[in-house]
Amino acid sequence: MTVLMRAKEIIRRPVVTLAGDDVAQIKDVVYADDQGEVAGFTLAGRGLFAGPKKEALAWTSIHAVGRDAVMIINEEMFDQRRDIVDKAQARGGNVIASRVLTDTGTDLGKVVDAILEIGETARVVGYAIDSSEALGRGGRTVFIPLPDTIAVSGEALIVPSTAADFVSDDLSGFGASVQAFRDRLRGEKH
Amino acid sequence: MRFSEAKNHRVVSTTGAVTVGRLREFVVDPRTAHVVALSLKKTEGSGDTLTWNNLKAFGPDAVTVESADVITAAEGDLIMMSDKHHRILGKRVLTEHGEELGRVKDVEFDPENGLVQSLLIGSEEISGSRILGLGSYAVVVRL
Repeated sequence: MTVLMRAKEIIRRPVVTLAGDDVAQIKDVVYADDQGEVAGFTLAGRGLFAGPKKEALAWTSIHAVGRDAVMIINEEMFDQRRDIVDKAQARGGNVIASRVLTDTGTDLGKVVDAILEIGETARVVGYAIDSSEALGRGGRTVFIPLPDTIAVSGEALIVPSTAADFVSDDLSGFGASVQAFRDRLRGEKH
Repeated sequence: MRFSEAKNHRVVSTTGAVTVGRLREFVVDPRTAHVVALSLKKTEGSGDTLTWNNLKAFGPDAVTVESADVITAAEGDLIMMSDKHHRILGKRVLTEHGEELGRVKDVEFDPENGLVQSLLIGSEEISGSRILGLGSYAVVVRL
């Protein structure tokens, strides 16, 4: 089973061991590659056992990312920050404030957050954007799905023009939008 | 019996027939889901800990012990388990998947052996056998 979460929702969530101690809190999401897979999290100190060495958590060290806490087995699960951040090209971080352009040249809006699909792995499946006039959503924040492969730079994000047809106003319907959008793209290739 | 029903229990020595302390707090070991000791107040000596195996009985009105000598200072794991950060009442309850269920309002336990039978969270009851951990932040329970 997978759930969708906004990356910003996870920030500041406590990191809690199965023994029930809060040992850190999430500082930021670190992405592994151009496909937007989550490599792990950087951490900030918190709680009784906060220490300077507990800097990062690899995705593989995590027991569960829940609505109220990120769970780890025990305090042996912390990783060195450089081991995680060095591997990463901070994709999700870089695209915040980027413009989203369709491949036909329409500006759909500005990225304000990444949407993560969380299950056995975690990856970016879309973005929350402050919509442009062209999208006709009255400037509201909406969710736009990503194809499973995508061209990104720090400046702009290019999505297929059909992405505009799969924009969603809330996260509850967004999972289906991502799937429908990707099915459509696959259909076009055949 | 519930923790709330026993919160003002006296501890009585059966040899001297005198009150040797009052119950302050239950000390719960999350690994076994048992009350392993009672933390006491108003004791005569310097110690304030009564381990479960030194109890004679946990009755409906009082706890009985052989004598006041069995009340000692906490040792080993009991030191940490009986500090205020590990008190179970009022503690947040998290599932192992990181979802908060509420706070522990009361605990149902077996006065025969100290087994924690269930945690009461609002109107919901969670079996003591689901307890995975009891730490400074939360009681963590199995799904």
